[in-house]
Amino acid sequence: MLPLARGVYGSLAQITRNSRLALHTASVVRGKAEAAAENEAPAENSEETAANAAPDAKDRTNKIPVETSIRYLKSAAYKTTYGDEFVWTQYRRNHKGMYAPRKTRKTCIRQGKISTGNPCPICRDEYLVLDYRNTELLQQFISPFSGQVLSYSKTGLCQKSHLRLTVAVEQARDCGLITYDVPFREYDYSEYYGKQEEQKK
Amino acid sequence: MLILRQLRKLNGQQRLQLGVEQTRRSMADAAQKNASFQYDKDPQPLFTDAETQRLLQSMTQLQLEKVFRKRTVPDNSTETKFMTTAQLEKEFLQTIEKAKKLLQMPPVVQIKQDTEHIISKDPALKDFADTKYVFTDITFGLRNSERKIVVRDADGTLAYAPLETRKRMNQLYFPLEGRRSYTPRMFTHDDLLQRCLDEHKYEFVLDRLTVQYEPYEAEFHNFSAKVFAHLNESKEFDLLRSTRHFGPMAFFYAWHRCIDDLLYDMIRRDYLHNAVELISLSYKIHQVPVDYKPILSQLEALKPTPAQRALAELLSCLKKPAENAIEHEIQTAIGKTEQDFAADEISLKFIEQYIGSKHALKKVQLELAVQTLKEVNLEKLQLYQGLKKAHGVQAS
Repeated sequence: MLPLARGVYGSLAQITRNSRLALHTASVVRGKAEAAAENEAPAENSEETAANAAPDAKDRTNKIPVETSIRYLKSAAYKTTYGDEFVWTQYRRNHKGMYAPRKTRKTCIRQGKISTGNPCPICRDEYLVLDYRNTELLQQFISPFSGQVLSYSKTGLCQKSHLRLTVAVEQARDCGLITYDVPFREYDYSEYYGKQEEQKK
Repeated sequence: MLILRQLRKLNGQQRLQLGVEQTRRSMADAAQKNASFQYDKDPQPLFTDAETQRLLQSMTQLQLEKVFRKRTVPDNSTETKFMTTAQLEKEFLQTIEKAKKLLQMPPVVQIKQDTEHIISKDPALKDFADTKYVFTDITFGLRNSERKIVVRDADGTLAYAPLETRKRMNQLYFPLEGRRSYTPRMFTHDDLLQRCLDEHKYEFVLDRLTVQYEPYEAEFHNFSAKVFAHLNESKEFDLLRSTRHFGPMAFFYAWHRCIDDLLYDMIRRDYLHNAVELISLSYKIHQVPVDYKPILSQLEALKPTPAQRALAELLSCLKKPAENAIEHEIQTAIGKTEQDFAADEISLKFIEQYIGSKHALKKVQLELAVQTLKEVNLEKLQLYQGLKKAHGVQAS
């Protein structure tokens, strides 16, 4: 956490071009720390307090349950981090040259650790868990106009997260947790009534 | 001592059995309750009857903004055109036709029973293969119901395929958009469906039902009955108004003699002519000796059909201010015309007659609603007449 924070504040002092991004990353980290404190306070586990002493911000071996994530999305910590915006709106990809590569990176997490300096919106916040029950998070990635899952070129998700997102959305639709416009079915009445009417005549 | 103990044991077992029986009985009760919500005889002749269809369509109403609401489909592009007034009027007519098509009601039919129809038994072919063979006629242009699908069993009998196989084969070769080859988890897990219903996603569930199941399947009947029963308790009928499911819903309530909640909702929202239609529909289904036809024809003369009203609404943007602009303005301000007041009077009489009869179940509630509506109507009428007088329209 410390070196990362130092780096962040260093860049702040320099006021480089993407200082806004750095600010945001810092706020994500802060919000996460608050969420962690909120989450671990009632648990009072000896292991967790030990982890609290020297938390590694890049460690992703600890799996967060969905229920926690659902609570996090409603919490004040989430609100201070993201405000009213979507999880992905403030995220910017880092790339060489004018144009971003067509595909995003394969994965942000390798061997249980964040292996990149600019992890995707889902990977950077470990409290965002992609699951079919976490509808509030999934809704942020569905277009209100076409009802489709937004492309990774827009949201900046890494390929692995994007795959998990599409699977979760499909599962949620299957369970009826997310509504969508069902294709219109036109009935041919004669298929159900035709024969009997003929008999009457 | 030993005998006593054994006796006790036996008793305990009996008690256990009793408990089991009780639960079984309660289950059977629930099943019966479900069964009671099924059509006991073929509802088709009554449903397809021209008069019933007209009543149901009128009850459904046609709210254009609800029928043509923005859908989240992959392609929802719009087209902008320059048009003359004549062209625009023609386009409006087409729009109404399109809306009518979108409001097509899912057919209400009896549950189809699976009948075994063996074509031939060929014992010589026994053990020719260790699996069944399904033969499907995939000729272009055939209807799904006409398509020949036969099964050759492993023991050599050739028979027409059962309904389930038919459906699967039809879906395999001629897929219906939106239908899954497996049952969606929403319909297999009761708690998920219950959650959908509790969140009032009625239209979504019913839409999905129409796509996933055929109208003659038992599941279609069970699930739609469940939705309608839940809707009758939550009383959110307005969610289905002006959708294709409102007609079948009203028909369902009329058939099962539980129209009172829907009636109350209609009176509260000042859809009195719809209330009259609902009552006459239930009279018609249960063959109650009340002559409702003259009242219906009277109302028909006074009230435009939903399609006419929608068309008038569309055309109103083209109209120039007429000479009786003030009268029109008064009418729009109050929301009622003289004809409406006349129609209300007729329908209120009919509704009160229904409430007084033995068919009404929630008399007090309905009476109160009618009373409040009467007062509001009286106030509106007074205001209407007063305004007319003030503007000097009455003389003309």
